[in-house]
Amino acid sequence: MKPANQIRQWVSGVGAVTVAALMLSGAAPGLAQESESVSVSAPMVKGALPVDDPNAAIWSTAKQAKFPMSPQVHWPNRILETTVKDVSVRALHDGTQVAVLLEYADPTEDPDDAAAIEFMVGDKKAHFAHGQPMAQVEGGPVNIWYWKNKDKKGVDMNAQGFGTLKIQTHQDVKATGAFSNGTWKVVFTRPLATEHTAEDTQLALGGFINIAFAVWDGRKDGSGDLVEKGSQKAVSSWWYFRAEAPPDYSGYYYAAFAAALALGFQFVLIRKLKKGQAA
Amino acid sequence: MGGSLVRPVVLILSMYVFLKFVVPNIPGSAPLPSSLIFLYLMLTTTGIVIFATLSRESKDAFFAPILNFLTGENIGAMQAARYGFLILFPLLVGWQTYGSTATSDAPPAENRTIHPAPPGEYTGLSNPVSKTPENIMQGKGFYAAFCSPCHGGKFDGKGPAARGFNPPPANFSDPTTIAMLQESYLFWRIKKGGVGLPIEGMPWKSAMPRWEVELPDEWIWKIIMGEYDGAHQSPRTWE
Repeated sequence: MKPANQIRQWVSGVGAVTVAALMLSGAAPGLAQESESVSVSAPMVKGALPVDDPNAAIWSTAKQAKFPMSPQVHWPNRILETTVKDVSVRALHDGTQVAVLLEYADPTEDPDDAAAIEFMVGDKKAHFAHGQPMAQVEGGPVNIWYWKNKDKKGVDMNAQGFGTLKIQTHQDVKATGAFSNGTWKVVFTRPLATEHTAEDTQLALGGFINIAFAVWDGRKDGSGDLVEKGSQKAVSSWWYFRAEAPPDYSGYYYAAFAAALALGFQFVLIRKLKKGQAA
Repeated sequence: MGGSLVRPVVLILSMYVFLKFVVPNIPGSAPLPSSLIFLYLMLTTTGIVIFATLSRESKDAFFAPILNFLTGENIGAMQAARYGFLILFPLLVGWQTYGSTATSDAPPAENRTIHPAPPGEYTGLSNPVSKTPENIMQGKGFYAAFCSPCHGGKFDGKGPAARGFNPPPANFSDPTTIAMLQESYLFWRIKKGGVGLPIEGMPWKSAMPRWEVELPDEWIWKIIMGEYDGAHQSPRTWE
């Protein structure tokens, strides 16, 4: 074979492989990009959830997400500066209960230190500021899980608009906090699903739901008044939360089957072509 | 021998480069979704195959190098490329299948419209406050008091209260924000706030206050003047 012919063959051979790769990868998903946290993912654990223990070793098996906080400036009474600048979040579930761990820096432990998690309830979108009414969109309620240091318990609440915050008659949320070295660790626990679907957010495995956070530093000013109280708090925007479904390997089975089919197709094709040439 | 394949290969590669890298840079265009690029490449390939098989001669010329690549003997260095192809092809098919069937770890994609259309009653309103240095100064004062905690003292969207908000507060010094909008648009956005947005603006995420409950209209118009002046931008006009 002449060298020029060989080169041409090379070009077309390599080109054909490249074209096939381009066409096949055209619809393939892009590589995952590293970015700031946008969601909290709760892996499923076997055995007991660390519902009362913010320092349990098992928390490290959950990936930590970190969300920036802002002072609540959206509606009066506002506050322009708050103590807590970020909240780090981990979560776990065991198939029936979910546990969410909030971690944030606060220089001092105060009786009025408090934290809350907010969820949308049902299919309707809810504004992150207590589900306040929106002019052009029919909004839904929010479900708020609240913890205050001196109360030593979790409170399950709802709101749909300012001034509508209400403690539920059925309390499903438990919460416990631990302060150490200028860091609060607060664990909230609740069953993944409850009977009260109109008030409680329902955590279906594998599904993404909206989540937001709020923190109050319970310090007092010179005259003995709380600096952060009520609507004067640190808040986050809406982010995502997901209780992970049990691992699903079906994607690998489908891929192996498809690759085997392609291999078989090649085999048959080449045999057929060789027969044709021989004839 | 292989020459008849060079042109189709070059054609498909150029088509890919054109769709992937040239089209997004045409003014007014956007990057094409990969599924559409795939469809166009399939159509191009189909076209090439139809064209190549119009006559017996062209068909033989087109398939001979492929046949040789797949089944030919004594093809020298091409042998490695053949095995490479035969191994790579099933792997690519498997990868593609995995990509389209595996469950995604990514949260739902959000396509938020940053500047959705305002309600009809706000289009074309003109600023009733006269543009005097005193009014602009006063507007800047109101801006400093009410807007700068989020939108920033430098009108750059980087105020001390901005960090936790998603979407972030608008950067007025960016030429794609207020410079592209009319004063009437700003009046609507300031007055009705985040909760006044239509559904495509995702009102449930916006931290922008509904200033109509706290500020008189005249102050809002003055704030708009102060904002354009401070950010060194001019409102868009009909001319």
